[in-house]
Amino acid sequence: MDLKSSHNDLQQLECILNTFIVSKTIPSLSVILDEPVKHFLKKTQEIQITNLDWLISNFEEMDVMSAVYVKCDGDLSIGVLWYMLEEESKPLAVKLLGKSHLSEFDKLAMSSISEIGNILTASIVNAICNEAGYKIYSSVPGFAIESLRTLLEAMASDFGDRSDTIIASAVEFYGVNSGIKLKMLLIQDPKETKKLIM
Amino acid sequence: MNSIIEVKMGGLAIIREETDELKTFVGSCVAICLFDMDAKIAAMAHVMLPKKTDSKQHAAENEVGKFADTAFAYMINNMIQIGADPKRIQAKIAGGATIFSHESEISLFNIGSRNITAIKQILKETGIPLVSEDTGANFGRWVMFALSSGDMTIVSNLKKTKKVI
Repeated sequence: MDLKSSHNDLQQLECILNTFIVSKTIPSLSVILDEPVKHFLKKTQEIQITNLDWLISNFEEMDVMSAVYVKCDGDLSIGVLWYMLEEESKPLAVKLLGKSHLSEFDKLAMSSISEIGNILTASIVNAICNEAGYKIYSSVPGFAIESLRTLLEAMASDFGDRSDTIIASAVEFYGVNSGIKLKMLLIQDPKETKKLIM
Repeated sequence: MNSIIEVKMGGLAIIREETDELKTFVGSCVAICLFDMDAKIAAMAHVMLPKKTDSKQHAAENEVGKFADTAFAYMINNMIQIGADPKRIQAKIAGGATIFSHESEISLFNIGSRNITAIKQILKETGIPLVSEDTGANFGRWVMFALSSGDMTIVSNLKKTKKVI
């Protein structure tokens, strides 16, 4: 595999992302959940795009996820996937919609979860724009209820014509009181890594 | 005992043992199976994108299935080399789902339908008959192809469905 990023590049990128997450994303998510939020930044790594499914843990193989994907283009191209267990996303949609119960995901519930993905992606994108002076445009958020394998495959296809490898940064967020767990996977073209770490 | 050969994302495999089976998982990607039942030769590609746009060669077999155009060329040439008759080669396909839905009707992530269109165009150009398909919708599928029967079995764990085409 022809890797384009050095270990030092990846460490720097991880550090920058963590700064954005701590300063922007966590406060936004904390407001949405109405509780303190902690996060765990997993290793940022460059992997072959066809091996994106390596990121699936054995525990996640059979899980059904509620997911939002936002594609950002412009001076920098990134793909951001937000996902959580479907069963955990229902109480969140109930809370956001002010309902007492949600048996199935209707259009409004999907919209509410999509909006969370949109807001949280914007928190990172705005931080990048403010820090680096880039112009970045976000897509309409796409919503899916699917297995992580299916979600990752769609992301891989979305970046497959740009590069053979991608930089993947995985982050887990936890609501301290509710225990709600939300995960983020941010991917980008390794050729663009220098744009963020310079 | 049957031997199951798993085709990874962007990968491709060719089998010629009647007891062998090919298996892959597709969402927006498409599983293409080409087979010659008389010669007992079958190939499966896990196609991610319609067309290869750069000049880089994907020499490794674990990525040669990534693009529909190069995957077809590789499968047909290699199947013929080991004894398949181009006049007998048939195709079955599965996948090409639209995974992410949007509030607006305009989908930025319609790669699934673009893959299907490209593959059907190539099949038309190469004269290979498409004998059956399970494509579209919005869910991922496990796809298995058995060379002994020519059956393609499609399983959705999420929808709890199983069908044979």
